[in-house]
Amino acid sequence: MQKMRSSMSFNIIGAIVLSLVALGLIVSSIGYINFTNVFKKEYSLSTYHMADTATTLVNGDHIDAYLAGEEIEEHQTTQRYLDGYCKKMSVSLVYVIQVDRSDYGRFVSIFNSVNNAVDDSNYTPWELGHARDTTDDEYRQKYQALYEKQVPYETVYRTNPADGSHPHITTMVPVMNSAGDVSAILCMQRPIRELQEARRPYLVSIAIATVLLALLASVFVAVFVRRQFVAPIRKVSDEATRFARENIKGTPLGAISTYEELACLAESIDTMETDMATYIENLTSVTAEKERIDTELALARSIQENSIPNIFPAFPERPDFDIHASMTPAKEVGGDFYNFFLIDDDHLALMIGDVSGKGVPAALFMMVTNILLSERARAGNQPAEVLAAVNNLLCNRNKLDMFVTVWLGVLELSSGTLVAANAGHEYPAIKRVDGAFELLKDKHGLVLGCMSGMTYQQYELQLEPGDKLFVYTDGAPEAINADYELFGTERMVAALNGNPDGSPQQLLESVSDAVQRFAGGAEQFDDLTMLCVEYRGCAKTARDGEGA
Amino acid sequence: MLDIIKTIEGECALFVVSGWLDTLSAPKLAAALDESLEGITSLTLDLEKLEYISSAGLRVLLVAQKTMNEQGEMKVIHVSPTIRDTFEITGFVGILTIE
Repeated sequence: MQKMRSSMSFNIIGAIVLSLVALGLIVSSIGYINFTNVFKKEYSLSTYHMADTATTLVNGDHIDAYLAGEEIEEHQTTQRYLDGYCKKMSVSLVYVIQVDRSDYGRFVSIFNSVNNAVDDSNYTPWELGHARDTTDDEYRQKYQALYEKQVPYETVYRTNPADGSHPHITTMVPVMNSAGDVSAILCMQRPIRELQEARRPYLVSIAIATVLLALLASVFVAVFVRRQFVAPIRKVSDEATRFARENIKGTPLGAISTYEELACLAESIDTMETDMATYIENLTSVTAEKERIDTELALARSIQENSIPNIFPAFPERPDFDIHASMTPAKEVGGDFYNFFLIDDDHLALMIGDVSGKGVPAALFMMVTNILLSERARAGNQPAEVLAAVNNLLCNRNKLDMFVTVWLGVLELSSGTLVAANAGHEYPAIKRVDGAFELLKDKHGLVLGCMSGMTYQQYELQLEPGDKLFVYTDGAPEAINADYELFGTERMVAALNGNPDGSPQQLLESVSDAVQRFAGGAEQFDDLTMLCVEYRGCAKTARDGEGA
Repeated sequence: MLDIIKTIEGECALFVVSGWLDTLSAPKLAAALDESLEGITSLTLDLEKLEYISSAGLRVLLVAQKTMNEQGEMKVIHVSPTIRDTFEITGFVGILTIE
C-alpha cells in the first residue's frame, strides 16, 4: 500500500514538476531570444544614427585627395574631430575606408579613431593609406550593398566573437560626395556589453521563478491528489482486501468522494459485500440442510436394510434348505423388498415385492407392505388370503395411487410342498434337480394397492430335494445398457443356467455379475432385488424317517 | 424419450403415446392427461409405438383409468406383445380395457 501511494503521487508530482520546468525553459528561451533581438535592433539603430552623424564631419569629395597626400590640414582636422567624437560617443572604433570597387576584396584606411578605454581592447590605429584585405565574405557583401546604395546602413554582429574579443557590433554607413555617389564607408564599432549584462538577471529571475512555481505546484498537487484521489482509493482498496480475507460484511464505505467514478466504485464494493454476505449465508444453510438430508437418508437406508433379514447364512442350523437374498437400491433407499422367516418349525414363508417408483416414497410404502404381509403370513394365513387382506388395507389409505407387486409363498419343509400366490409380480424361475432353470408362468392377480376387493388365486408346487426357486424384481430383466437395450428374462435365465449347481448365493452372484457386465458403465436404473431358495429336504431323514 | 400427440374432438380424446414411459417421462404424460381430461367421456390411448413401460408409467395409466371410471370410459389400443406381457404380469389386464 505504501508503495502504491508514493508512486502514484510521486508520478503525478514528478510529471507536474517536469512540465513546469519544461514550460519555464521554453518561456525563458522565447523571452531570451526576443529580448536579444529587440536589444540588437535598438543597438543597431542607435549606432547607425551615431555613425550617420559622424559622416557629417567627413568631406566626401576629398577622399581621393587625402589618399594622394593632398588636403593634409583638412585631413588632420577631420581626424581630430573623429577622435573627439569617438571618445564622446564611447565607441571602440570609428574609421573611414575606401573599398576596392572591383571585388570589394581590399580597402585602404582614410581615417581611424580608436578608444581602447571603452572596451578594454588594444587596437592600434591605422595610418592614412593603410591597406588591408576585406575581413570576410560578410563584410564584402555589405560593402557592396552600401556602395550600390541598396541599403542606408549595414550592421555586422559579433555577439560571440571567435577571436576572444568582447561582444560588439559594427555599423557601416556610406560617405557621399557632392555628386551623390558613395566615395567611402564610415564604420563604427560599438561594444554591446549592456546586452549581456541585461540578459543575465533576466535568466536568473526566470530560473528562480520557475523553481519556486514548481515547488509550490508540487506541494499543492501533493495535498490535492492525496486528499481527492489517493485517500478514497486507499479506503476502497483496504476494504476490498479486508473483505476478501474475512468474507464478513464491514461498515459500509458510504460517500467517500464527490467524483463519480470513485463514488461508483465505493457503492459497488458496498453492494457486492452485502450480496456476498447474503449469498454465503444462503449457501451455508443450503449446504447444512443438504448434509442433514444426506445423514437422514443414510439412516433411512440403514433402517431399511435392517428391516429385512440380511445375515447369511440365515439358518445355518437347518440342513433342509439353503436361502440367500440381496437388495440393491438404485438410490439411497428403494421400493423393493424381500422377506423370509420360519412361521413355525416346518413352514418357511418367502416373499418378494416391488413398489411402483423409487426413493423415499417407495421406501415408506415398502416398509408398510412388508410389515402387513409378514404379520398376516406369520398368523398362518394362506398366501391368497394374505394378499387379498393386505390389498384392502393398502387401498384404504392409498391417496397417491401407489401400488406394489408381490410374490408370496409358504414352503412346507417336511413335504416340500410350496403354496404360492402372485400379485402382479415377475414370473418365478424354477430349476428341477435334473433340469435347467425355467420361468414358471404362474397365475397373476392384480398388483396390490390398486383396487380393493380383489381376489387372488394360489397354486401348489411340489419341490424335490435339490430343486431351486429363484424370484426377483424387474431390476434384473429391465436393466439397461448404454444403447437402451433391456437385459431381459432370457439373459437372466441363461445366467442362472450358467452355474446350475451353484448355491443360492452363487446363483445370485452370477445374475448380479451378468447384469453389471451387460449394463457396462450405465447407471443402475432400478432397484435390484433377488431371492433364491434351495430345497434339500434333509429334515426328512433327520426326523425319524417320516415320509420318504 | 416420450412423445405424446393429443387429439380432442368434442368429448373424445385420443392420445398417441410413443417412446419410453418410465419414472422420468411419466410426469409428462400425467400432466398431459391432467390438463385434458375435463369433460371427456371417452379416452383412447394408442400404445403402438410404446417400447417400454415401468411401474411409474403403470401408475399414470391406473390414475387415468380410475378417473375415466368416474366420467366415462377408457381403452388402450394397438398394444405390442412386450407391453401386453407387462399388463398380464401385473394383472393390469384385469383393470384396463385392451383392444
